[in-house]
Amino acid sequence: MDPQLDPRPPLHTPNHWELFVGMQQVALSSFGGGLSAWSERIVVEQRRWMGEQDFLTGLTVARLLPGPNQINMAVYVGSRFYGLSGALVALGGMLLLPFSLLMLLGLGYYYLHETLWVDRLLAGVITASAGMALSMGFKIAHSYTRDPVALGIAAVSFLAMDVFHVRLIPLVLVAGPLAMAWYWPRRTPQP
Amino acid sequence: MTPLLAHVCTPQSMGDWRHLLAVIWDFLSLSLFSLGGGNTLLSEYHHLSVDQYCWLSSRQFADIYALAEAAPGPSSMIVGLLGMGAAVQEGPLWGVLSGVSAELAILLPSTLLMVAASLSWKRLRDAPIRVAFERGLGPITLGILFAVGLKILRISDHDTPAYAVSAVVCVLMLRTKISPLWFMAVAAVLGGLGLVNR
Repeated sequence: MDPQLDPRPPLHTPNHWELFVGMQQVALSSFGGGLSAWSERIVVEQRRWMGEQDFLTGLTVARLLPGPNQINMAVYVGSRFYGLSGALVALGGMLLLPFSLLMLLGLGYYYLHETLWVDRLLAGVITASAGMALSMGFKIAHSYTRDPVALGIAAVSFLAMDVFHVRLIPLVLVAGPLAMAWYWPRRTPQP
Repeated sequence: MTPLLAHVCTPQSMGDWRHLLAVIWDFLSLSLFSLGGGNTLLSEYHHLSVDQYCWLSSRQFADIYALAEAAPGPSSMIVGLLGMGAAVQEGPLWGVLSGVSAELAILLPSTLLMVAASLSWKRLRDAPIRVAFERGLGPITLGILFAVGLKILRISDHDTPAYAVSAVVCVLMLRTKISPLWFMAVAAVLGGLGLVNR
């Protein structure tokens, strides 16, 4: 969009403290879910730290690189302003409250899980979480259905891990470079 | 009883610094292999915490996976719960310290790489290696996610009603936008009523 037509206030560069507080706001707002939508609302629309385009680039980088996507997104936002120190501050802001809460839940779990009713409830809950885990593969499968090579690579990776119990690191170290070589962009021949 | 079934897994003390370093190294090195937003690591977490270091039983692993999914915030924080399981028998303070260390170890390498990539993205965006990485690692991630999903299914469900609930949740996750918290709440009720068992 032409910046002069954009009715929103101009972009604002946060300092470290603002980064920390803003990321905490993102974490808190998303307690019911929808973290990436909330971070866009807060980072782009409310606090005006970066434009839409920058934010979308961040999402792309966060998804591409190793690491949890939402955490990578916080690192992207922080590092764009202050490099490593910004990244750490943003990460801290993003994780402080949910991680503390999780530690409390964890203590509750480890001290109470042998209690009959806790065990009963959990026996139910894990059937739902197992269904969620099962859906992860199906969720991204549609992007690959038209590429037989990709489906082959996926099938080999699946069998290696599920049937032959190959560990993740050797699997990625062997299959990764081979797959990358196959998909390495070739220069289109000049006419 | 066969010797295999009688195999008892005994956790080592984290007080042994060489053991502690080995554990930290395991998490640090896994960090850079967390493709697809980190879920690809779940089988490895199970392998480390249940088979290799004996911090948890398979049953407890299924529980804390559910806990991490249900709790607000990124579900990759499950590493904090694994770390806690490694030391919680020494007391709550050690449990929390160990949980925080495990989480820091799994996040540090990927964070450093992410900072480097964010700062050099303009050059990286059109580089052939970026294209090859994205297109090549995608299908591998897909295969691994299916293996991970099946693994979690196997350690969580042991009777037909349980498998049925998981199948329904899986379909609803793909077909609707209902918050997964609802599925967990309903499943908890089913568990409480004794309709699904371990």
